[in-house]
Order: sequence, then structure tokens, then C-alpha cells
Amino acid sequence: MVIAAGGPPPRLTEILRTWFSIGLQSFGGGSITLYLIHQACITRGWLSEAEFAKTWALVQISPGINLLKLSGVIGFRLRGWPGLLAALAGLLLPSALITVLMTAGFAAIRDLPAVKAAMRGVVPATIGLSLSLASQMAQSPLTRARREGRFSVVAHLSLLAGAALLFAAWRASPVLVLALTGISGVLWLGDAPAGLRWRRQEARR
Amino acid sequence: MTPVNPLLYFWLFLKGSLFSTGGLGNLPFLHQDLLALGWARETDFVSAIAVGQLSPGPTGLWTISLGYLTFGWPGAGLALVAITLPTLLAIVVVALHRRVETHPAVQNFTRGITLGVIGLTLGVAWTLFQGTVTDWRGVAIMVGALGLALSKRVPVVAVLALAALAGWLLYGMPA
Repeated sequence: MVIAAGGPPPRLTEILRTWFSIGLQSFGGGSITLYLIHQACITRGWLSEAEFAKTWALVQISPGINLLKLSGVIGFRLRGWPGLLAALAGLLLPSALITVLMTAGFAAIRDLPAVKAAMRGVVPATIGLSLSLASQMAQSPLTRARREGRFSVVAHLSLLAGAALLFAAWRASPVLVLALTGISGVLWLGDAPAGLRWRRQEARR
Repeated sequence: MTPVNPLLYFWLFLKGSLFSTGGLGNLPFLHQDLLALGWARETDFVSAIAVGQLSPGPTGLWTISLGYLTFGWPGAGLALVAITLPTLLAIVVVALHRRVETHPAVQNFTRGITLGVIGLTLGVAWTLFQGTVTDWRGVAIMVGALGLALSKRVPVVAVLALAALAGWLLYGMPA
């Protein structure tokens, strides 16, 4: 069993109750959920600020929904596998049920003319929101690239644009796109001198 | 719509979660696969994403909404299991990552994939744009939503509500 930092491990019912209330309260998307999980862990002394930040970073490099993985990893840390189950069940049971009920209600009304007109407005808005998400996600890697110099900026932008083109214009599978960008990342990104060295070796061949 | 094969259906949802990170990361996979098989319509995706933004919990729960729209309660259940399973992988990754995190190749691979994920997001936006935005009204709403989202002062729920209102006013009124 994994013991939390300081103090005895919490009871399973407490883990379940905590995530249940997070699942019920977090209307309005992931940032609210993250805020509530952070607050719960800090005020109960389950994780320090630094531990929380590291855990949040680590769960983001593995596949899946970040907030589910964060809940699972923290539950596991607190009480092992039962803790993981308690955290996930607490988070998912209320929110998944409400999601299905909202979908059912929406499916019943989506063919009404007024609703159709409203949805014609929502679709372009979801595109705008995706663009904003992309620009927010791009900020941190591009800032780092700018620090590394012009070569790195060009490499980053080409990878990004290449992935978008492969998917949108040639209908490439997303797995293939990510595999290619990952491999290109190893060859091109990182410290620019190493990338240049590699290119010079390639050119000599 | 074409009848659903539950095993393949589950695998497509699981594949989407296993090969993506973040709430809408599985969208490109499901969009491509389910549309190709005739198991979903474009409107199912739009509705599911909207519900996912409005309902409590992570945005990724839009997948459950898509499951319900395309395959009823069984679809919602299969989607729920498919998005939960990768959590087990996260436990392993957190344990393993410490051994390799300082290796430059691992860091650069991760950076490459991050850029790929952003590129895919743009690719989906472009595909959606071509398929659904047909006139200046759509472009105006898209740019407005982008501006509001980038300002970070307006919650997503409010952006979607405003867009719905704009759609109703621009498209719903008899010309």
C-alpha cells in the first residue's frame, strides 16, 4: 500500500465521498474539475503543492483523459488499487450519469427548427474553441523553441503544420501522425546544435 | 445508420483513448472511424462535444455522450469503460517515467508527440470548418468564439450559450 505524505491514509469512504462531490460540482469543463481536485488534496494534506504539480505533469504524458488519470493516480497513491477504484467511481458515477441524461434530453429536441438554428451557431463556435485550445497548447513548446533559436522554431512549426496537413489533407491516421511527429521529434528537436550536427552527418553520406 | 458491431465499436473507442491524451484527443480517431463505418453522423459529434462542455466532470466525458447518441445505453457504458482503462497505464507510466525522464531522446519524442497532438487539433478544426461553415455568419461566430476563448475571461459555457443565441438570431429568423 502507498501511504500519503504525512498522517494516516484516508478511509476509502472519504476518498469516494471527496471525488463524488468533485464529480457533482464541476460543471463547466475540466479546469473546474482540476481546481476542485487540487483544493481537495491540499486542504486534506494528501499531497503537497510540489507533489501535486509533478503528478499532474506525469499523468499528461500517458494516454487517456488527464483528469481521470490524475484521480486514479492520486487514489492509488492514497490507498492502492481500492483507492484508485474509489476515486474513479466517485468522479465518474454522478458526472457520467448526468452527461447521458443531458444527451438524452438534447437528442429529443435537436430536430426542432429553433434548436437546429442555434446549433448552426454552436458548430463554428466549437471550431473557434478548438483553435484557442491549439494556440494555448502551442504556447509552452513554442516559447521554449524561441529560446533555443531559429532552427528550433522552424523545426517545431514544421512538425505542427506537417501533422495538421497529414491529417486534414491526406486523411492520415492519427496514430501514424503521432508516430511520425514523435520520431521527427527525436531527430530534429531538442538542442539545436545536436540537430544541426545530425543534419551535417546526413548531408555527408 | 449502419448497425453497430459492439466489439469493434468498443475497440475503436479504446483505441481513441489509448492513442490520445486530453479531453478531445480521441476526437480525430472517433471522427474518422465512426463516420467511415456509418455508425455516427456529423451532428452526433457536434452534439456530444457541446454536452461534454456543459455537463459536469472532465470534458473527455463527451465520449460517453457520443456513445449514447450512436449506440444508446450500451454505447455509453462501453465508452465509459474505454475512457477509464488507460488510467491503469498511467499508474505504470508514473512508476517507469522516473527511470528514463532525463534521457534526451525521451524528452524529444514527447515534444514531437505534443506538437503532433496540436497539429491534429488544427486538422480537425479545418475538417469541421470545410464540412460545416458555409457563409460569413459561421466565420463571424467562429472568430468571435476564438476571441472570447483566448481572452480567458469568459467561461466556455457562456461562449457556447452566446454562439447558440447568435445561431438562433442569424439562422432561425425568417430572412
